[in-house]
Amino acid sequence: MAFAYLIAAAFGGVAWGILGGALPGISPSITMALLLPFTYGMDSTVAVVLLASTYVGAEYGGSIPAILIGTPGTNAAAATVIDGYEMKRQGKAGEALGISLYSGFVGGLFGLIVLVLLTERLSSVALAFTPPSYFALGILGLSVIASLSGDSLLKGLIAGVMGLMVATIGTDPVTGLNRFTFGSPDLLSGIPPILVMVGIFAVSEMLVQTNAPDWEKATHESARIRFPTPAVWKRIAKPQAIGSFIGAFEGMVPGAGGSISSFLAYNEARRWSRHSDEFGHGSPEGVAAPEAANNTVACTALVPMLSLGIPSSNSAAVLLGGFLMHELVPGPMLFVQHGEVVRGLYEGLFVANVAMLIIGYVIMGPCIWLVSRPKPYLMAFIYALVVSGVYAFQANLFNVGVALAFGVVGYALRYFKVPFLPMVLGVVLGFMVESNYRRALVLSNGDLTTFVRNPISAGLLATALMVLAASLLRQAKGRGDAR
Amino acid sequence: MNRDLVFGVATLAIALVYYALTSTIPPSQLADPIGPQGLPRMYSLVLAALSILLIVRSLRSHANREPRISEPKISDRRTSEPANYLATARVAGMLLLGIAYIVMLPYLGYLISVAVLIALTTYLQRGPLNLRTAVVALSGAALFWALFIWLLRIQYPAGLWPSLI
Repeated sequence: MAFAYLIAAAFGGVAWGILGGALPGISPSITMALLLPFTYGMDSTVAVVLLASTYVGAEYGGSIPAILIGTPGTNAAAATVIDGYEMKRQGKAGEALGISLYSGFVGGLFGLIVLVLLTERLSSVALAFTPPSYFALGILGLSVIASLSGDSLLKGLIAGVMGLMVATIGTDPVTGLNRFTFGSPDLLSGIPPILVMVGIFAVSEMLVQTNAPDWEKATHESARIRFPTPAVWKRIAKPQAIGSFIGAFEGMVPGAGGSISSFLAYNEARRWSRHSDEFGHGSPEGVAAPEAANNTVACTALVPMLSLGIPSSNSAAVLLGGFLMHELVPGPMLFVQHGEVVRGLYEGLFVANVAMLIIGYVIMGPCIWLVSRPKPYLMAFIYALVVSGVYAFQANLFNVGVALAFGVVGYALRYFKVPFLPMVLGVVLGFMVESNYRRALVLSNGDLTTFVRNPISAGLLATALMVLAASLLRQAKGRGDAR
Repeated sequence: MNRDLVFGVATLAIALVYYALTSTIPPSQLADPIGPQGLPRMYSLVLAALSILLIVRSLRSHANREPRISEPKISDRRTSEPANYLATARVAGMLLLGIAYIVMLPYLGYLISVAVLIALTTYLQRGPLNLRTAVVALSGAALFWALFIWLLRIQYPAGLWPSLI
């Protein structure tokens, strides 16, 4: 019975993900954030499978408008537009969609193998973790901000500190005293990260879409998926392998994500291709490589998230929020205390990849219907879904207000060109950092050297320093090149 | 005024307000060397320092920038201003609509509140406010009612309607 629920969650997540990913402007993280409140009352394994499957589905879904209307549904599908849309213009939309679907399937399975092989090994140090190590782990997670801040580390750090400030609202983790609650009982347990995510990702995107231009409409006749012929399979096998390997590596690197890996994969596939002159003119290889890469990322991004509790992308951060909502703390102890959830997630991800093949065919019609709806109606339905879903989370109208407030924060961050993932990271990791920092100091009678005397803590802090230094060097080099 | 400067000033103000608020946290009697105010104070100081750095950086880059060859004509500015105001008004309208939903939900009940929300959001997203929109809004509200109240059994406020019947 439990496995039946898991299969249903995988199929449901993939279907929702494809629909969300197919809507330009609605990223995989937004698609997942919209689903978060609904997972609250679910069994924890079913909930994480539903969210992870949504991620898998959304990565494929993004390629549908990329091929059919030349507008990527997700950032990661931007590389698919180059040859996918060209193939559509040549009357080969069905073939391009088939290549995208099967390359995504190949990449997804490869990513799952990497995930299963690496994750548990990485977290085998589980039992040796003490409060100083957990604090250092939190700092390592926060150091990801440096990689995620693009060309403005300063603004990324500001957003990260503001996230940490939000995490201090509520009951103090050590003394139990109230902080920044202003006498409101609704704030006693703090601000749940889910509300911050829904606000910053979904509500702010709705506000941006208010003034964004409409997208092109797709036509039904252009979209019947075609299974690639043996000749096409022969051509796309190598770019699929290139995309899978690049996606596997990039997925685990903080800040890299699907969009960088898909462009890298596209570029490498062109470099290694015998038909490199066809790239940009409707090459099947130009669709296969990025699609294999971004679906591999959907699985390998979970390696640092599950093993160390470090989200390497927006979508992984939302998934982390889902884990925390179910009191599953990703990181070293997850495999010890909730091994069944991790195994369920692996099984669910396998089912999700298979489901993608089946649903990919079935959902094409509804997808095109959805993309062709007038944008104002679509946005109105999404807004209604956001406010209804956030209320459903704890049956509390105060939460709707908090999500709207964070929507304003997200909109302001976009306006000032400040990366908003650092803020989400601050909110998610703030409690872990503060509680373990203070516990470690209580245990060591206030001796700060406890953080460097513990070998795991010292190693993690050194790694965090290296991540920060590497980002600073990259920025300095970038500025030098610009001059 | 450049955006980095405005953002820096705003975050500096947040840091100052947040620091002032830490004094409202009562001190702990437990043997905790940091205390409940410790990290919040540290965060506000770090934020203030980062904000000052951003302000200085934006002022320096503004001073180093070469003067523009030609400023836009006043008539050009006038033509784009109404469009900008309208865009800002739409975004503000979306937020006000959300707030109105929170305020009105206990009185109007879920079905009507969601229908109104869908209709007005459609309008703010540059859609028409006509019979078709009304039909879409009512069917959408019915769909959401079926999903959240009938299927998921979420207890939404029923509004004043039951007391009137």
